[in-house]
Amino acid sequence: MDLETQRKWDGAVAGYDLMNGFGPERRWAPWKRRLFSAMDGNILFLAIGTGQDIQFFPPGQHITAIDISPRMLEQARPRADRYDGALELRHLDVHDLDYPDATFDQVFTSCTFCSVPRPVDGLRRLARVLKPGGTIGMFEHTGSRFFPFGLMLDLMTPLTRRFGPELNRDTPANVQRAGFVNLSVEPVYLDVVKIIRARRPG
Amino acid sequence: MERRLYFLIGDLVSNTGVGAAAALTVALCVNEAWPMPLGMVVGMLAGDVVALPAAVGLSILFGAMELMLPVMLSGMLTGMVVGMRAASGPVSPAAAAALGAALGLAALAATYGLNAYVLAKYRREEARR
Repeated sequence: MDLETQRKWDGAVAGYDLMNGFGPERRWAPWKRRLFSAMDGNILFLAIGTGQDIQFFPPGQHITAIDISPRMLEQARPRADRYDGALELRHLDVHDLDYPDATFDQVFTSCTFCSVPRPVDGLRRLARVLKPGGTIGMFEHTGSRFFPFGLMLDLMTPLTRRFGPELNRDTPANVQRAGFVNLSVEPVYLDVVKIIRARRPG
Repeated sequence: MERRLYFLIGDLVSNTGVGAAAALTVALCVNEAWPMPLGMVVGMLAGDVVALPAAVGLSILFGAMELMLPVMLSGMLTGMVVGMRAASGPVSPAAAAALGAALGLAALAATYGLNAYVLAKYRREEARR
């Protein structure tokens, strides 16, 4: 377990729902609902946080939701309990997934791979527990190739990574580096906020 | 393009407000004694110093990247232009605020335009598949 990252996100709990719970989630709601509407089968959700995304999950699904921060999971518990389906919360680090190979049909993430310390390794760990041909659906924010936005995100990242996410990652490239195929990238806002879909080969 | 009235109004108010605030701040700091390039650079930095905490606060209401990036652009652009203007001659607070609000609106429009371009490009590529 990466205790440094755990401590960082435990520390972020206090203001997390205030910063992220209203404006960002309302703005992103249509896209998240559409992404998560594809949930089908045995699902792994990485980095459930305080459970803000649960409101967008279609009912009746079988979901295992993990997070590195036990304090985030405490906040997520009431939302998980209200979910109309099977939703299990687990305190787990993506780099230490203890599921057998090919356990899950699908993996979903939401603003996660801006923060996973070793993103390509984390994605490879997800690929391991996905069944061959299984899909990953990701709602993420990344850097930008447009000036001056890319520069702004690069300049802000050294500050933001101390308290939260990195703002300039190239997550689609990381997904490819991890061995996923059939990559598609749908823009949500500029080339910064996006939906990434890919498949584990097989 | 954003069509939800709440976010449309939020974007307009945020960008014109931050533009005006950044412009007022820069107009108070920079004067004709400054070389114009220095006024421009300091103005740009001061504009972003004003814009960043505003963006953090406004994002609670209106969204994350969709709010922050145009607002930061508004602050930077406004600071730069008003810094150059203030280094050229006196600028009244009212004139600075009006110019800042207009530049904030321009920055928002440019970001909306760029977003429309990105989405249109994606849709064309999808249609070809």
